[in-house]
Amino acid sequence: MQAALVVVDSFLSDKKDKDDNDYRNQSNNDSILEKENSKNEDDNNDKGKPVAKLLIVDDDSDIVQVLKRGLQKNSFLVDAFTNPEEALQSFKSNAEAYCLVLSDVRMPRLSGIQLARKVKEASPSVKVILMTSFEIRDSEFSKVFPSTHVDGFVQKPIGIKDLTKKILSVISETRRRKE
Amino acid sequence: MRIESENNESIMKWFDEEVRDGENSIIIYPNLQTFRQIYTKYVKDQLSKEDENNSKRNEPSLPRIMLIATFYETTDSVKHHLSAAGLQNIQSLINNGSLVIVDAFSSYYPNVDGMKKLVASLSDRARKEGRDGVTAIVDMGFFFLFGGDGRATELINYEASLAPKTEGGNVKGFSCYHGGNYDTLKDDQKKELAQRQKKVFEVTESTTTS
Repeated sequence: MQAALVVVDSFLSDKKDKDDNDYRNQSNNDSILEKENSKNEDDNNDKGKPVAKLLIVDDDSDIVQVLKRGLQKNSFLVDAFTNPEEALQSFKSNAEAYCLVLSDVRMPRLSGIQLARKVKEASPSVKVILMTSFEIRDSEFSKVFPSTHVDGFVQKPIGIKDLTKKILSVISETRRRKE
Repeated sequence: MRIESENNESIMKWFDEEVRDGENSIIIYPNLQTFRQIYTKYVKDQLSKEDENNSKRNEPSLPRIMLIATFYETTDSVKHHLSAAGLQNIQSLINNGSLVIVDAFSSYYPNVDGMKKLVASLSDRARKEGRDGVTAIVDMGFFFLFGGDGRATELINYEASLAPKTEGGNVKGFSCYHGGNYDTLKDDQKKELAQRQKKVFEVTESTTTS
């Protein structure tokens, strides 16, 4: 884990200062998470250098809370939303600040598939990982959703440790490609 | 027709009296919690009604087949919520074919007619087993998964294909829309959805505070 963190940390170092400022200025419209965002922001700032800034979207507020806390403990900066439309709005207003979007697939208003498409349109370099509780495996995903480019896929429920590994591997892949 | 989500009795009355066998209708629900309340209350009421009827008969009959096809929760989650609502015999209802719980995605993908085939097969089985019929509570979230006007057209065509059966129909169909999805449709698309005399029932969030 430490080695992977160092790789990612290097990749993100040029964005750190901006991310820090953006994170402090972040205005999260999601009332459920607003208080939690504020508290965890302080926690993050106490721990020093963040790994990367993530946008998490899931219409289940319990899942969002758990993921947000767990990933923040692993040194990620996290903005979290239960409303995908608000998440997209937040993303578009500050796309360059985000390194990766982690989204549920089946959400009303705007599905994870649609969100992924819009995120890639706005900022092709941002990585997208989709997650679902349903029986669609990674290998089947491209057949089911051929027009949507995603960088990873996870099956819920997933532990924070495994999710962190997945996120780091997707971010590290970008680093390797750049080299 | 609009009813607040806390008005369970009115919602069930609508299920029982406004929609008859052979008809298809549209339900718009405000959130997943309300959708859960609707299917849970329906299953409970239907089973207690069957128990009541059977106690009056010499030969008990099997209940209507109840199909619950969800999109925003897993089949295990449906079972969990039914059990949590006090239905202790979920697995036996599933085993004897009275309750069918499916992921709507698997019936709509890759061909949207898959759901119609499933309902038709349940309708045939209900007849063979001497049941009153089938109630199909189906979430339409699948049609909103990919987005785009093409999908809305496909949805409208699909709803139009669910023609009422005036004779011999034994299926009560409820196409259930999450309000967040329904609101993404244009006004003319909403009108087209309700064609063929479909009844539209909107469950709104309660305005009263507890």
